[in-house]
This record gives sequence, structure tokens and C-alpha cells, in this order.
Amino acid sequence: MFSFLHMASFTMKIHCFQRNFSFSSSALVPVQLPSRMETHFWYILPDEVKSATLLNQYLDILSPCEKENVLRMHGDNLKKSALLARALVRTTIARYQINSQVSPTSLKFRKNIYGKPEVDWQNHYDRNPPPLHFNISHTSSLIACGVTLDSPIGIDVEEKQRTTKNNILSFARRYFSPHEVESLSVISDPEIQRQEFLKLWTLKEAYVKALGRGFSAAPFKNFTIRFRAATKGHLHLSGNSNSKASEIIVESSDDPKTLTSNWQFALLELTGSHYAAICKEKYDDTVEGKGGVPMKLTVRKTIPFVEDQCISGKDALVLVGGL
Amino acid sequence: MAAVSATSVTFGSSLKLLKSSQITGKASSLKMVTVGWTKSGFPSLRTSRFRVSCSAKPETVQKVCEIVKKQLALPAESELTPESKFAALGADSLDTVEIVMSLEEEFGISVEEESSQNITTVQEAADLIEKLVQKNSEA
Repeated sequence: MFSFLHMASFTMKIHCFQRNFSFSSSALVPVQLPSRMETHFWYILPDEVKSATLLNQYLDILSPCEKENVLRMHGDNLKKSALLARALVRTTIARYQINSQVSPTSLKFRKNIYGKPEVDWQNHYDRNPPPLHFNISHTSSLIACGVTLDSPIGIDVEEKQRTTKNNILSFARRYFSPHEVESLSVISDPEIQRQEFLKLWTLKEAYVKALGRGFSAAPFKNFTIRFRAATKGHLHLSGNSNSKASEIIVESSDDPKTLTSNWQFALLELTGSHYAAICKEKYDDTVEGKGGVPMKLTVRKTIPFVEDQCISGKDALVLVGGL
Repeated sequence: MAAVSATSVTFGSSLKLLKSSQITGKASSLKMVTVGWTKSGFPSLRTSRFRVSCSAKPETVQKVCEIVKKQLALPAESELTPESKFAALGADSLDTVEIVMSLEEEFGISVEEESSQNITTVQEAADLIEKLVQKNSEA
């Protein structure tokens, strides 16, 4: 209660000529920064957001440029998705309460030289901005935002039921590495083949997005993602010890010297309906740099300003962990 | 506590409109939001740049539109202009890559990875296709 008024008075001072306050909603619940080994994964289900008042509230926190982009989308469902995606990013980052001046509206964003979006802290910090990284992904039915500290992150979500217009093996031959094509072609059940294809796709997308250099700078054909049995360690999901003892690794096909062992992955199945892949740099706290701490993952479902829910167990099943 | 802002009246009236039109629970009320915004002086969205497209043939553009509509499962009557951005039509990364692959098969061309990122609209796709088809015929 008190923190809401505190936040309200700050933003009132700065933005009172622009803002319309809806005092009936609750404030964003603040959250502690992730540790270096952690990934915070936030997601929103558009079908659960129906209130026009709430959508208006979200629209209100966007920048003019973002609003334009939202309204440029064709059709109401796409407008809504685009709106929720930007609202999710702004509200999520603002929760980390790094600086009391930060509100969802005051955040500024920019793109790195390859076009990857990142937070522009110059509004709030002269130097030493917090090394908070984020990445978003959306499907029509689920929008997600991953957050890490001090590590680039890439995420990708896809509906489990998603089909491809092109033949899966033709598509894989065109875009995936020979190793991956091979691993798909030995699957005889078309449904399982389709699911394995989607898992590979999301993992490859997450990797490229984590690299932050764009699709053309890291062609899908030039790296292989595969699963192997883990020798030690496993993924920790808060409150859930259901993890498979295997890991996901990436290898560079064209240049064996390309460093790939510093990346770690996680693959989740969310609410039984979506695959979500996460890729971030491994955090190594050993002196020789030969260690690697297992990824700690916290999954939260949210409707910003309304409710947050920590997800564990069968609603966020870890399919394959990472070391 | 009352909300004190110069624009609160505009928001208030558009909110009222939204509440009364929200019967089915669908997000059709977002249409009202669009109107509200332009009423309050928000920049108009009819920002189509005047573009003289003398490169790609109309048949090529038409074919690209067909492929895009099919990939994104758009209704046949949906309006697609050469300037339509794939992302604005709801294409995600997998859709875009599938569209590129369908175009390669349809036109017998090969799109380099570097170029596929530059294909964001129907027009850009059509222009690139014509360029590659011409290169093929010259080879």
C-alpha cells in the first residue's frame, strides 16, 4: 500500500501533465533482481486479459512510438498482442526497483548495432547502469519476457500445436544443420517429428536471439543444437524437482573454434500448450573458468497491475535442463 | 483522490465508450481506442509513403501476396498492399522463414541468409525475387 503511494507521487511529479491515474488497480509487485545464475521467465496469456480499462492502462504506459506500432498492427487480436508485449516488458523491468525513479513509463529502450532491443538507462543513470538483460517472444496465445543479470538472454515460444506449411524435412534441409536433419529424419511418427522440430526451432531461435546479432549473422545452418546425457548437475526450477538428466548443447559447424560452450539452455513446456526455449551465458564462479553453475529458473505468470503467480510443477514442466 | 490532468477528460470519455461497447468480451473495443487517440491529437496513422514501385511486376507482387496470405492464414478478402509489413500481419520469425522458403520454391530462386532479413514487406520480397530471377536468367 505504502509503496504504491510512493510510486504514485513520484510519477505524478514527473508525468502529471500526461498521466491519468486509475487508483482502483494495484501497483506492480516489486521483485528482487535475479542472481547471475538465475533466469526470470515472465509470461502473460492474452485470453486472460479482457478488461478494456486494463488494456487502456497498458496503452497508457507505452511510448508514443510504441503506441504507433501497436495501432499499425492489422486487426484487434494483433493490436492486443503487440500492446501486451510492450506492457509486459515495461512493467516487468520496472518491478526490479533498481532506482526509485524508474516506472514502466519512464523506461527508455534502444537497439544495439544489430537491432536487438535493450534498456537505455541514460534517463536514470549517468554511469554504471544495472546489467539487466531481457528478451521477449510472442505467439498469439502467450507472450513471454525473460530477464537475466549480467548475461545476454534469448527466448522463443511456440504453440505445441503449430504446424508448418512446408514439409518438415524439406524445411530442415533448407535451414537446419545436417546433424539436425539427421536427428529429425530418423523419427518415424510424424507427430513426434513435428514436436521435435518445434523444440529445435525454438532452441535455435533462442540461441540466435541471445547472440543478439540477428538471423543473418548466425545462419541456422552453421550451428547444431543437440541433446546429450548430462554427467552431473541438473536444472533447478523453484519448487519443482522434475527435471530430466540431459543437457542441451550448441556446436558451431563452420568454425570449430567458435566458442559455444559458454551458452546454456533450458526447454520448457508451459501449461501443456507451449514450448519455451531459453538461452543465456553460463555463469562461472570458479577461478579457472572451468566450472559452470546450473541454471536456476523462476517462472511467473502475470497480468500486470492485477496479479502474479509463481508457476511450478506440471504447469511449467522442464523438458530438458541445462548445465 | 481525483486524477488531475489536462487529458483526463478525453480518456474519461473514451473509457466510457469502451465500457458500453464491451458486450462480447472481444477486443473489438480497441477500435475505440484508435479513435480516441486520434481525437486527442495523436499523429494520424495514414503514413503510407508515396512509393513509385517501378521494379517488380504486378504479377510478382500478386503471387507474393497469395503466398503470404496462405502462410498467415489470412482470409481471402483481407487487404494486402505492397507496403504491408509481414510483422504487422502477424508473421513471427518462423512464418517469415517459411514465406521465404515458399517464395524460393515458387520462383526457383535461392535467397541468401543476409537478404532474408531485409524482406519485411510484400514489395521488398517482390523486388528481391525479380532481382534474383533476372540474375538466374543472365547466368
